[in-house]
Order: sequence, then structure tokens, then C-alpha cells
Amino acid sequence: MSDTDNTQYRRGDFARAKGEVILREHEYDGIQEFDQKLPNWWLFTFYGAIVFFFGMWFLYYTIGVIPSDHERITTAVASVNEKKSAALADTMSNLTDAALVNEWATDESRVKAGEAIYLQVCIACHGPNMDAPTKLALSLVDHEWKYGNNPLDIFKLINNGTPAESKGMEPSGARMMAFGQLYTPDQIAELTAYIISKNKEDFKDF
Amino acid sequence: MGDKTSITFDDRTPRNFMIASLFWGIIGMTIGLLASSQLSWWQANGKFLEFITFGKLNTDGLDLITFGRLRPLHTNAVIFAFVGNMMFAGIYYSTQRLCKCRTASKLLSLLHFWGWQGIIVGAVLTLPIGLSQSKEYAELIWPLDVAVVLVWVIFAINFFWTLAKRNEKSLYVAIWFYIATIVTIAMLYIVNNLQIPTSLTHSYPIFGGLQDALVQWWYGHNAVAFFLTTPILGIMYYFLPKAANRPVYSYRLSIIHFWSLVFIYIWAGPHHLLNTALPQWLQMLGMLFSLMLWAPSWGGMLNGLLTLRGAWNLLRTDPVIKFFAAGITFYGMATFEGPLLSIRAVNQLSHYTDWGIGHVHSGALGWNGLMAAGMFYWMAPRLWATKLWSISWANMHFWISLVGILLYVGAMWTAGVMQGLMLGQINESGTGLTYEFVETLQAIQLPYILRGVGGLLYLTGFLMCAVNLWQTARSGKMTDVTIEVNLLKSGEKDNMKIGELIFHRAVVYTGVIIGLVSLWFFTPFTMAATILVAIVMVGIVVMFEFRWNSRSWANFHDNLLENYIPFTILVFVAVAIGGLIQIIPSVVVNRHVNVEGRLQELYTPLELAGRDIYVSEGCYNCHSQMIRTLVPDVMRYGRPGIPDDYSHLGESIYDFPFQWGSKRTGPDLAREGGEPIDEKKLVRVGKRDNLWHFNHFLNPRQTSPGSNMPAYPWFFEKKTDFKSLPKKIKVQRQLGVPYPTMTDHEIEQHAREQAMAIAGTVADSAFLPSRQDLSGPELRNYLSETQFTAVVAYLQKLGAYTEQDPDNQPHPLDPDKNLPAYELSTKN
Repeated sequence: MSDTDNTQYRRGDFARAKGEVILREHEYDGIQEFDQKLPNWWLFTFYGAIVFFFGMWFLYYTIGVIPSDHERITTAVASVNEKKSAALADTMSNLTDAALVNEWATDESRVKAGEAIYLQVCIACHGPNMDAPTKLALSLVDHEWKYGNNPLDIFKLINNGTPAESKGMEPSGARMMAFGQLYTPDQIAELTAYIISKNKEDFKDF
Repeated sequence: MGDKTSITFDDRTPRNFMIASLFWGIIGMTIGLLASSQLSWWQANGKFLEFITFGKLNTDGLDLITFGRLRPLHTNAVIFAFVGNMMFAGIYYSTQRLCKCRTASKLLSLLHFWGWQGIIVGAVLTLPIGLSQSKEYAELIWPLDVAVVLVWVIFAINFFWTLAKRNEKSLYVAIWFYIATIVTIAMLYIVNNLQIPTSLTHSYPIFGGLQDALVQWWYGHNAVAFFLTTPILGIMYYFLPKAANRPVYSYRLSIIHFWSLVFIYIWAGPHHLLNTALPQWLQMLGMLFSLMLWAPSWGGMLNGLLTLRGAWNLLRTDPVIKFFAAGITFYGMATFEGPLLSIRAVNQLSHYTDWGIGHVHSGALGWNGLMAAGMFYWMAPRLWATKLWSISWANMHFWISLVGILLYVGAMWTAGVMQGLMLGQINESGTGLTYEFVETLQAIQLPYILRGVGGLLYLTGFLMCAVNLWQTARSGKMTDVTIEVNLLKSGEKDNMKIGELIFHRAVVYTGVIIGLVSLWFFTPFTMAATILVAIVMVGIVVMFEFRWNSRSWANFHDNLLENYIPFTILVFVAVAIGGLIQIIPSVVVNRHVNVEGRLQELYTPLELAGRDIYVSEGCYNCHSQMIRTLVPDVMRYGRPGIPDDYSHLGESIYDFPFQWGSKRTGPDLAREGGEPIDEKKLVRVGKRDNLWHFNHFLNPRQTSPGSNMPAYPWFFEKKTDFKSLPKKIKVQRQLGVPYPTMTDHEIEQHAREQAMAIAGTVADSAFLPSRQDLSGPELRNYLSETQFTAVVAYLQKLGAYTEQDPDNQPHPLDPDKNLPAYELSTKN
């Protein structure tokens, strides 16, 4: 790189002070190198990360003041489960067979909300006309209620999924998941209301 | 000064590698573009062929181009074919000039070039037909792995032989990075590909579950480090000062950032497994070392950008400088984003989403791609002794690439953050999740399309580059440069004694500190506190020593640079330490105790066959099998009422290879399976039943409206390979899976019996469009032979385990066991 004019720089191998610019003696295929001291901000980020490393490890493993992942997650999920049981108990306290049929299933906005969930999720197995044409699930319009024909039975079935003691569909063994995992008790009641509204005859005695 | 002689460089090899890089780069990017369109339109998995052949090819999906098989082809093509060939071009070109001698062996150069292209052709032939190990960026089957190692050894011999013959006393910083690349990739590739073949095209890795995860991401992360980063930094150190005609900013920054980079990088692998079942101490190491890696990475960026001081005016006129400056800036951006994503809290949001895809592409397109283009534009006129055909085409290439990258990366950030937030959103009452998985997927369809547009722009840029270089080559003549050099006398280089190396204070102190820190990791409280005090004291001593003896330490390093073997040994030690400390405790010491109270049930022969199909189809590209220790994960994928239903280590302990995954384009499958419904435990029903799976594989959108999963019609045509099962189970037994003794006949019979049982659950209700002639018992017989039955057997087994006593055995090297407050969470 003879065409570069770097003659103003002092040649040497080793810069000693900040701001001192030295051009190293050695050249490689014409490539020259300065020997600048390192920028302070860069050094501080490096040192900072090293100190942080020692500090964090010290907090976690030497004195153990931070709970482990397993403790943290188990507590958090347990508290979600408690909330869930509380919400279910809350809904159930006002929910009766008669209320589901005469209040929920006649309330158009609740039935609409239930329908929206049906169209989004249930439709995949129970079909657009609720007759389960693909045989993935039970028909909901054949007037047979395998797991109990009270409105609350239907609510519980959706909330808890196919009961553990049941063998599921024959012969595929298909089971419905517990939609209480996904939806709030109110939403499940809305869904129940929607199903009742499509089977008014079956529930007219409540 | 010794005798003078004239030397003609071997410039044919870099020329060939450069052409190969462009060729494969364009192919690899095109495959990426097709794969990205498959995420937006499921028809791109093969249905479109029906349209363009006017119905002659009637298919819902073509196995050869399905996403799960294309994505590995894309990543392997751009990493090993595009960047690999580019790196070899740069290394062969610059090493000769930095060593002032011709590459040692013409034959080895030729073998290296053609061997590497042969491996790439091998990958192109095997990955689309489903021959894959499923380890990311190490998918190639074992015969190709052997070929890779052989070619790499040829490369290493050729390179180090050239160093031995050099006429330049001291090694320039570019060479340091090349050395680190060669030794580290050899180590990583060999260890991660240790495997036992079951046939010419299939094998099982010797590590399973946690061990495999750890080794794979030690490899995967450092393939990024030592294949995509260090060689390109070396190339930057040669070509950038050449092109800018400026001295490198700081020699001592080169030293500090080189050694800290190669030492620290290796430790950061576990950051690919944050919040998973990986032991927490490894996660902590992965995160903390990633944060420490930020400054060393930026050291490279600073040395690059600050070298341009005084040459910034070239940015206006010289496309080479444009590409380099932007490439280095993207390197800085990606290496800032990397540590950020390694913070466990950030990773909760980003992991398994497209943010990760955005991150790697800011590195791959921004750093690797732009550096490659800059180097090509600089090298081509010199290799053909002419001028670049068109500067304005190069400028256009630059701008179109830049827009493409920004569009790509911006779209992926948006998609990743949006999907991450949606998946983690909990409803107002705090009891459930707001969104179904498929809703989050539909929400990111627009960013997916924009990503494709970004990719298309980038590809267009490289097509322009190819035209430009083609025209440049046509206008010139292939030329091998000749120079005059002074021959070095023997004894002027490579004369350091091994004692001078290992007993130098700088080396001893470093060793002592690393040793103490490692002890600190594994010892409980009192001892750990004492060791920490010792570390601080040694640290203070080193600081003073360095202050007083800085000159002699600097001389030691200068001396080291005149001795390539001691230098290489030191690099190898630096890169080996991190892996040793992280992997050995889990692989050797704690191997059989990493079960955390749950021990995976063994796969039946048919389930194993199904698993091998799952692996070969590349399902892991979209489906994870890992419920992280995060509330939304446990709520979404865990079972109701079990607070600790995240994935425990023992649940995947017999998985060879592990399938934890790294991206969720579909939902997690860790608990997809369920309990047996018959006495012989042949049929299981999990979250979904067998008929659901039947319909889903035929047409995913029938059972999951809005899904972008490809259809798998060939699962209903191809036969399960029952005959290979005895051999596979024999190998699994060698790997430590406690299979009971079964004769070959029993194995095959059991598999067939289970297949019949499973087929029986669907045959009465199923409708198979491709075989409408079959029904009832005939359909059952037919289905029992197909891959569908095996895959379903596997899916229904996912998540099966037996409870174990969590505290039954000691964990001799497990920092998590030293936690003062540590109690296993099963107490709830």
C-alpha cells in the first residue's frame, strides 16, 4: 500500500497512552495496523457483562436468593388453577338446568356468542350442521345425549371433556378435550346455550 | 534478508470457489423463497404443480418439495454451499498473499473444491427424498458426514501446510480467524455427528434427549460462530483494509476481541434452549456468556468500521466499500440482537417464533451476503485482470439488497413479536388463553408475504451480481498473479518451544482463573464462596501483573504469532473448554439420572418406525416437543390440573435424536399422545383420535381451518419399512435404550399387529380418495401397511411416561442440586 501516505504516523509496536496513534512496524501484504488503545465505552460494556456474570451466578447459585424455574412455574400455574376453580364455582352457583334453558338459551346475545365459538372450534368435528358427518364426534342433533340429558350435564361435558371412565367413540376411541382449559365458564355456558337453542324439543321440560 | 524468488499464486481455486458460491447461493435463495411461500399458501407444497401442468400431475402435495424437506435444503445450501464456498474463495485468495507463498498443494485444492461440490450435490439428492438426521444444520446422513470430515481434513492439511511454507514470519489477524474456523468446525462437526448406522442411509446419533439437545446446540450455535462469523471476520480483516487502503484501526483490539470471541462463543450454545427442560444452570451459563459475548463481537465491528475512518468518501464511489460497511453494520446489529434474545425473559417471547428467523437473516443476508458481494466485486476484476463490468449494476444490487433485508427483517420482527404476544396473552379473568394457535398464525399472514417480497428483492440483487461478474469475467482473462518475495530462512519462524507456551504467565494465569471459575460452578455454598474470593484475588494479581509486564505479555503474543502450531494449540484449548464443562456433566456423569421424576415409556417397534418417518419428513421444522417452564406454555399444552406439567427431562431421554424443535409454525406436540384404550396397549388415543389424524393428514384444513400445514397424501401410499426395525432396535439397544429381548420375527410381528389394530379404528369410517375401491377389512389391511399407521402410532405415544422417584440418585456434577433453597417442585 505504498500509495497511502501514512508517513505522519509514528512507527512502533506498542501504544502506551490513550490517544497515542502508532502505526505498527510490520506490514502484511501491504496491510498496515494502528495500535490504538481500546475505547472506554467498549471496555466498560465488556467489564460490565463480566461483573454481571459473576453477580448473577452468585445470586442464583452461591446464595440462592432467586427461586428456581420449577418453583416459580409450579406456583404460578397452581394460582391460575385456583382462579379457574373459583371462577367455575362462581358461575356454577347461579347456573341451574332451568336457568340454562330459560335464561341463557333464550338470550340472543349469549346464543350468538356461543355460536361464534362453535363455528370457530367445534365445527371441525361436529360439522356445520351439528350432525358430525365425518364421524369424528357424536352428532348433536340426533336427540341422543350419551353423557346425560340435563343441560348441566352438557355444560360439564364441554368443560371437563369426555369423562375419564368413558371409552370414547367406538371404535376410534375419540375423546373430546376439556374446553374449560381454553374458555371461561361463562363462555362454556354460552356454548351450552347455543346447543340447547338448536335442540329446543329435547330440553322443553326444564 | 534471504534469497528472492518469484511466486505465482494459485488463483484458480478462489476463482472456482467464487463461481460455485454464486451458483449455489442463487439456488439456495430460490429454495428459501419457495419455502417461504409455502407458509403463506399451502398449495406451494405441490398443489400448484397440478395447475401449471394443466392437471396432468394430480396431487395435493409433492413429498420432494414439502416444507419439512425444503427448509433443511435451504439452510444447508446457504450455509455450507453459499457461505462455505465464499469463505473458501476468500481464504484461498488471502492466505497465499498473507503468507507470501502459493497454496501448498494443487491436488489438495482440487480435491477440496470438487469434494465440497460433491457433498452439496449429495445434499441436494438426499434431503428432498427424506434422508435426514433432523439435527438442524447437520441434517446430512452419515455417509455425507464422513465425506464432510474427509474434505475438511484435506482443507486443513492444505491450509496448515501452506502456513508451514510461509515466507511471512508472523501471522496476520485474518489467519487467526481462519485457524479458529478450521479447528473448531472439525471439533463441532465430528462430535455432533457421532452416530451408529442402521443402514447405508440411516443412523441414530449416540446422544439422546437432553444430551443430544445440548450437543446439537453447542454445534448449531457455534456453526453460526465458526462457519458464518469467524471466517468472514478474517475475510473482513484482509479485504476491507485492502479495499479502503487504510490501516486496520487497532491491533490490540484484534487480539482482545479475537481471544475473547473464540473463548466465549462456545459457551453460549444453551441460549437456544432457554426455558426448556435443559437444566437451569446450563441456561444461566448460556445467557450470561451470551451477554459477555456482546463486547467481543462489537470489537470486530469496531475494528472494521473504524478502519474506514479517513476513507468514508469511498462510500460514495466504491460499491465494495458500500457492501462492506453495510455488512459490518448488520454484523453489529445481529450481534447486539443475539445477546438481547439470550436474556431469558426476552427469550420467553421470542423463542419458537419468527423473531429467530428474522435474527438469523439479518446475519445471513446482512452480514454474510453483503460481505460476500463486497468480496466478489473486489476479487473478480483482479482474478480476471480487468475492471468491474458495471458499477451502477453493483450499486443497484446494493440498494435492492438493502431494501430486501430491511423488509425481510422488519416483517419477521413484526410476525415474531405479534405471534409471541398473542400466544402468551391470558384472558381478563386470568384463567385461560385468549387465542387458539391457528388464530396467531392467521394474524401473521401479511408479514409472511412481505418477507417473501423482501427475499425476492434480495435474490434479484444476487442475480444482478451474477450477471455483473459474468460480464466482468468475459471482458477479462483468467489471471494468476505473480509476485517477488524474500524467502524466509529456516529458524526465522516457528521456533517456539512448547514450555515457552504453556509456562508463560499469561497462559498460566488464564488457566488458573478458568479452572477456579469452573470449580465455582460445581461447588455448594461455603466452598463456592471461598473459591469466589480466590478468583477475585487472582484477578487483582493479574491486573497488576498485566500493568507492570504489559510489554512482555505483548511480546509473548507477537512471538506466538510467529509460531503457527503453538498458536493453533492455544486456539483449540480455548474453544474446547466451554463444551467440556457444559457437556461432560450431562453426558457422562448424570446420564441416567436426568429424569426429574418422569421416565419416558419405550417406543414399540411400530412407534419407532413412525418416529423415524416424523424425523425424515422434517416435522421438527414446525413442531416442537417441549413445554417450556412458562405459564402460557403449560396452560396451552399441559394437562388440566397438573401445575408442574412442563416437559421434564426424562420424558425425552430415549429420543434419538431429540425433537424439542426450534420453531413453532404449528402447535407443540409434546403431549399429543394419550393413554391406551385396549388391553394390549396397541391403540392409544391422545388429544385427537386416529380418524381425526386420518382426515388431518389428507387435508389439514378440513380438521383445522386456517392451518398452513402441507397435506401428506403419500402417507397413504408409501409402505412402512417393517424389515428394517430389528436392526434399528438392535442399535437403540447399543445406545442404552432398555428394550426387552425380542427376535427379529417378534419385532416385525408386533409392529404388524399394532398396525392392524390402529388401522381397525379408522377403517370403518374412513374415506380414502386415492383408493375409493377399498372399504372395511380391505381398507384396514391396506392402511395397516402404510406410513400413516406408523406415524399415528408415534403421535399417539407422545408424552407417555411412568412416574419415578425424583430423588433416587445423586447428581455428582449438577449446580442446580447445590441451590440452598432447591426443592423439587413436585411437592404441590
